[in-house]
Amino acid sequence: MNLDNELRNTLRRKSPAPGFAGRVLARIEEDDARSSFVSKATDHGRRWRAVAASVTLAAVLAGYASHHIAEQRRIEGEFARDQVLLAMRIAGAKVRYAQQEVRAIGTDRTEEQSSIGEVDN
Amino acid sequence: MTAIAQELVEFPTALVKAREGDHDAFAEIVEQHEAMVYSLAWNFFRDRSRAEEIAQDVFLQLFRNLASIESPSHLVFWLRQVTTRRCIDVSRRGRLRPVSLEEAGEIPARERNRDPLLDQTLQRLIGELPELQRVVLTLRYQEDLDPSEICRIVEVPVNTVKSHLHRALRSLRKRLESSR
Repeated sequence: MNLDNELRNTLRRKSPAPGFAGRVLARIEEDDARSSFVSKATDHGRRWRAVAASVTLAAVLAGYASHHIAEQRRIEGEFARDQVLLAMRIAGAKVRYAQQEVRAIGTDRTEEQSSIGEVDN
Repeated sequence: MTAIAQELVEFPTALVKAREGDHDAFAEIVEQHEAMVYSLAWNFFRDRSRAEEIAQDVFLQLFRNLASIESPSHLVFWLRQVTTRRCIDVSRRGRLRPVSLEEAGEIPARERNRDPLLDQTLQRLIGELPELQRVVLTLRYQEDLDPSEICRIVEVPVNTVKSHLHRALRSLRKRLESSR
């Protein structure tokens, strides 16, 4: 037995079932259709993702703006409160000073009157 | 003759047209090489359904990679390399799309004046060889390639190819003798 010849015979080329090229083309078309569907679905998904991203961005911006406005108001409020407190402190000091002055004038007059009385007597 | 003109003469019209997306031209290429691709897979797996599936996958891959084919000889080299790689890959992963028996076709008729028992025994023994030995043996006897051509396809040193071939033949002789 010649093994080389036997192997050539056993491993000889065989043909696939008739219509093989047609089946390959059918798979190519099937594959193309699937790719096109996937591509369309991807485009659709991409559009929806863009819309979702825009909505999220708008919400974030709106949130930031409202937070910024609230913060601004808080700062302005604190500033106004400080101004009022300062004004009240100044006013209090002035009133205390005026009271002291009034008291001092009152004391001086009493002393004057008592010294006049002593002189009259 | 310029290099481009030379390439146009050497480059078959079917390949040029197929590259432009002509399905009929591609069918012509498939018909020209289907027996080689199908047989490489059939001789590796001894399974019509697997051979059909692998051959279809290889031509599908070829259609997507037509732009990379440089010449008719490169096309043949590319088909042999991709088919053998795919066979090994599928054998390792055991993953395939089911193909109906109608698609897979008939078992090829045996040649007359051949010992059907010897043919069957050889097929079984080849199927039991390790993957690389089976690939090297198939490329040697189906495609009539020498070790220097086989080593480029399977991307191993030429001495490794010679060693695999030698071991495969020794193993087949030994097992054939013991099976008699």
